[in-house]
Amino acid sequence: MEIFYLFAVLSIIGLFAYVLQVLAVRSLFKGKILQATPEKLKTFSYIPKTETYILPPISILKPLKGLDDNLFDNLVSFCTQDYPQYEIIFSLQDNNDPAFKVAKKVKDKYPDKDIFIVVDNCHIGLNPKVNNLITAYKVSRYDFILISDSNVMVGKDYLRETVKNMRDPEVGLVSNVIKGTGGSTLGSIFENLHLNTFIVGSVCFLDKFLKKPCVIGKSMLMRRQDLEAIGGFKAVKDFLAEDYVIGERIHKRGRKVILSNYVINNINEYWGLKKFLNRHIRWGKLRWKLGGIKYLCELIANPVFMSFLPLLLWEISILTIFFALFVALFKITGDLYIAKIIGVRSNPYVYLLSPFKDLIVGVIWFIPLFSKVVIWRGNKYIIGKDSILSTHTDTGFYSLGYKIFYAIKARIA
Amino acid sequence: MIDYMLLCDFHIHTKYSDGSVELRKVIDIFGQAGFDVIAITDHVVNGDNAIGKLAHRFKFSINEKNFEEYLFNIKIEAERAWDKYEMLVIAGVEISKNHISPEKSAHILIIDIKEFIPACMNYEKIFLSAKQQDALIIACHPHHMSDLGRDTLFLWNNRDKYAKYIDAWEIANRDDIFNVISLKKYPYIANSDFHRVRHLYSWKTLLNCQKDINSVKRCIKQNKGVAITLFRK
Repeated sequence: MEIFYLFAVLSIIGLFAYVLQVLAVRSLFKGKILQATPEKLKTFSYIPKTETYILPPISILKPLKGLDDNLFDNLVSFCTQDYPQYEIIFSLQDNNDPAFKVAKKVKDKYPDKDIFIVVDNCHIGLNPKVNNLITAYKVSRYDFILISDSNVMVGKDYLRETVKNMRDPEVGLVSNVIKGTGGSTLGSIFENLHLNTFIVGSVCFLDKFLKKPCVIGKSMLMRRQDLEAIGGFKAVKDFLAEDYVIGERIHKRGRKVILSNYVINNINEYWGLKKFLNRHIRWGKLRWKLGGIKYLCELIANPVFMSFLPLLLWEISILTIFFALFVALFKITGDLYIAKIIGVRSNPYVYLLSPFKDLIVGVIWFIPLFSKVVIWRGNKYIIGKDSILSTHTDTGFYSLGYKIFYAIKARIA
Repeated sequence: MIDYMLLCDFHIHTKYSDGSVELRKVIDIFGQAGFDVIAITDHVVNGDNAIGKLAHRFKFSINEKNFEEYLFNIKIEAERAWDKYEMLVIAGVEISKNHISPEKSAHILIIDIKEFIPACMNYEKIFLSAKQQDALIIACHPHHMSDLGRDTLFLWNNRDKYAKYIDAWEIANRDDIFNVISLKKYPYIANSDFHRVRHLYSWKTLLNCQKDINSVKRCIKQNKGVAITLFRK
């Protein structure tokens, strides 16, 4: 019985933390709701379309590697921005990358836009995304730099709405909330559920209650001078969480790091379950290395997993089943509410899968405690403190562990 | 000539037969990935034996009744694909003569089909009917494949009789590669035999020609400026 009470208490603490996450999301988007009324538009320093002279030119850096779901539309969405002056720089490691052809098609479709494709087999750092950014940054012309991942799609007003946060000269970096959309496969559905619940909730929670900059690399707007003051992209070339490190360093220089409530879409349509697991194991390892002991709180902040444990560790009874169901229903309700706030338009029935996703996430939470090897875009690294990367040498204890694991896997196959 | 080779796939199935993805989504999957030319080739299965009857029963085959609708919807999607992606979409079918014995089975792609061709006709009639429509005739997966139970060997075993009708042979299909085609110096292309989203990453054809239907057909028939590539993420 003590086991049940222990996990019941932990689950209730988790639910309380979850309620705080929901409140944080609500708080961030409260401003957005207010902006919809004409009177409040002035209060919230909305920039009318006619005042184009105050909108600074922006260089959008788009590192590309491989084919993301919806890549063509994602890139096109940046070519149709309602913004007076900007350039888009698609940056790749080699022109045999399948994304090169898509980027070229997009460039050909919009000949009147300032679109550049730069190909450079840059290997300055271990982070392949930063290598691409270094290449793109060299040819960028404007003082405002926007880093944008290839798997995001934005509305026509994205630049206009994001840049308005920069009117405050103390702001050094603006990041955006992301929401997962699409989902034709189980992996994609889980991915989108996770983005629209845990990720959105955690980012807003850190921003609102802990005042901690939690920058999402999928969209980062900053001034050139701020970026150069922290050493430019070369300073983060060997970090896996380059976005987090950039945000933290800009914050340490006394500049504000802002989370914009303009939501950008991360299209995940045809993910397999394996891809979902790989990404979140990698992100888990990253958070373990960045957060240390704070990473332990994540498990408690997964009330569905916590409420399920008594069923495994104690007994299957009416009490344990009822409690697990209660927690799952509470969590589903909260997830649906967050989805409503951030404007997710998916089938509400998919939220019935949310508890299953939480159980999977609970299981994979343990993996980072035992492994520090990450495989990212075909490269294998060892991840160290603050997510610093070092090359995996295929020797030593971890390598042996992996070799045994893959030998067993191959034998089973 | 254009400054880059056209990325092509001439063997794609949709929910009109046994594919798992709807036509519109198929167009978007290939368009979003930057393809230049694709052919939609759903099965037309012979209905003269038990296997064929089952395929018709479970609607895994185009038939004479829905053929016009099939062509019409491909045409609509082709226009959309051209406007949005500058991707050429060609209507086709895969004539599927299925028998229990792989020695008797054969699959034939008819690319740029205009009128329905029943799969239960004999081979000469099928080929002549396709020729009359100025369609391309491609022998699909003509040799042994890695998937058990999918072999279709009839055309290869009877190549002396039928090769004169065939414009090109699949030298590669999805993950399989058929070296016999190269040894025999037959004209070749490579296709995905797309049924599921994951099949996007498979063997493809590269063509060095203009992006219009006649140039594409001519390029395949002449088999100059043709290459194959293993398309990966």
